[in-house]
Amino acid sequence: MPDSKLGLFGLLSDAGPIVLFVLSVLLSFSIVSWAIIAFKFGYVRKSLNESRAFLDYFFEVYNVDKAFAESENYRHGSLPRVFRSGYIEYRALGNKADIRQLRVRIARAVKREANAESKRLSSLVPFLATVGNTAPFIGLFGTVWGIMTSFHNIGTTQSASLAAVAPGISEALIATAAGLAAAIPAVMAYNYFTNQISIIERDLEEFSPEFVAAFINEP
Amino acid sequence: MKKGQKFRFAEQKFSLWLVAAAAMHLLLLFSAIYLQILDSGRHETQKIVSVALVTLPGSGASQESSAKKGGTEALSAPMHEIPHPPAKKKSVKVKVAEPKELPVSQKKVVIEPVKPKAKTKPKVVEKPPDITKALERLKQTVDKKTATQPQPSTGNINKALAQLQQKVKSEGEGAGAGSGRGSSSTGRNGAGKGYGSGGTAAPYKAEIASIIMQNWEFSKLLLKNSYGMEVYVRINILPNGIIKQIVFDRRAPSEYLNNSVKRALEKSSPLPLLPKEEGTRDVWIGFVFTPEGIEK
Repeated sequence: MPDSKLGLFGLLSDAGPIVLFVLSVLLSFSIVSWAIIAFKFGYVRKSLNESRAFLDYFFEVYNVDKAFAESENYRHGSLPRVFRSGYIEYRALGNKADIRQLRVRIARAVKREANAESKRLSSLVPFLATVGNTAPFIGLFGTVWGIMTSFHNIGTTQSASLAAVAPGISEALIATAAGLAAAIPAVMAYNYFTNQISIIERDLEEFSPEFVAAFINEP
Repeated sequence: MKKGQKFRFAEQKFSLWLVAAAAMHLLLLFSAIYLQILDSGRHETQKIVSVALVTLPGSGASQESSAKKGGTEALSAPMHEIPHPPAKKKSVKVKVAEPKELPVSQKKVVIEPVKPKAKTKPKVVEKPPDITKALERLKQTVDKKTATQPQPSTGNINKALAQLQQKVKSEGEGAGAGSGRGSSSTGRNGAGKGYGSGGTAAPYKAEIASIIMQNWEFSKLLLKNSYGMEVYVRINILPNGIIKQIVFDRRAPSEYLNNSVKRALEKSSPLPLLPKEEGTRDVWIGFVFTPEGIEK
């Protein structure tokens, strides 16, 4: 008996304008958050791996020139970048006799690069938190609105049968489902990224003085 | 300069991911729809159970049984007198009741002679000829009454029915499409007219229309408005009367009406056996359901 409307398509086609608007907002949220997840996942993972590899090499050779040459192979790592900025500042200074001045200048360059790296790492990540926090509420808003409309229709049709009530509630609940579908991956990714970024930032904080000391103690 | 290039590169990469995410979402949506189609093809749809959360307005189901009793009478009666189907029924009832009154009057006649017996015993011997006379008089008066009053016997009703059936048959043969209008005299809010199409005999269509009407649980009070509330349905009937397929050619905006029609058709299966003229092949019959009933 080919008389049934297509489930998901039927729900979307029967939904009211507010519910459709809510669904479109949630869809765009989901698209952007998935793009951020994919983009950041590669970026953060590469940065962490290259930082670890560079750090191992740096402590192995403990020579700034060799370390700088090796850092060219780690273009996406945060620690190699910070080291390179310190090395460039060190080489730019003509007079290396004034050690205090040298330390201050290199430390400032390293800190500036570390800050920039930290900002670069954490960019777009707060959007995931926003989606994770607001998407369920936006979905809930769509649901409440849909149920409100549904009850209004019950009043106007004067029918309280399941056939009259259920479609409206079903349409309304799809908004909550969409909100949760957008929020769950966003929250999971946010937690993962904040954890990974905090590890890199801790490394930057701990090893930046090491880099400065390496430049000053350079024979 | 280098940083600007790097930033632009990162931006491009992010846009690429954005497009990929959009494509992924679209793919997911289409695959969900496709899976639903696939799933609906595999499993048969469950029967819809309609549960009223409050007491529905309108007449109740208690009238159903009386409608069922009406059966073919309810269908055939309105065929010749559409505006007064209940009146027709009432008249039939009266006609059937009248012959029963006759024996009662005769009983009275029998009782009357008993009273004088109780009063005066010696006169009993003299009175028998009077009683017989009185009985004869009474019989005569009763005969006169029955002669003056048009007493439709069951034979007359049968004759009328046969004439109607012949009339319907001749109409069906001439037009090539059967048509029947019927309203259940005891019906609920949805009581109405019948329409059939195709080569099937008109009496059969009328019969199944009445069966569907009896099984149709619908109240037009539950509709917001009746504009455009028409359901065009075709049913495929097997020779053994089982409804093989229900096809909605046109659905009404109200799912309540659509579901009620579907339920009525499902409930009506199996229908009476197909007429012999149809042979062993299955037939398609179409109906138009409106809030007023099954309409031509």
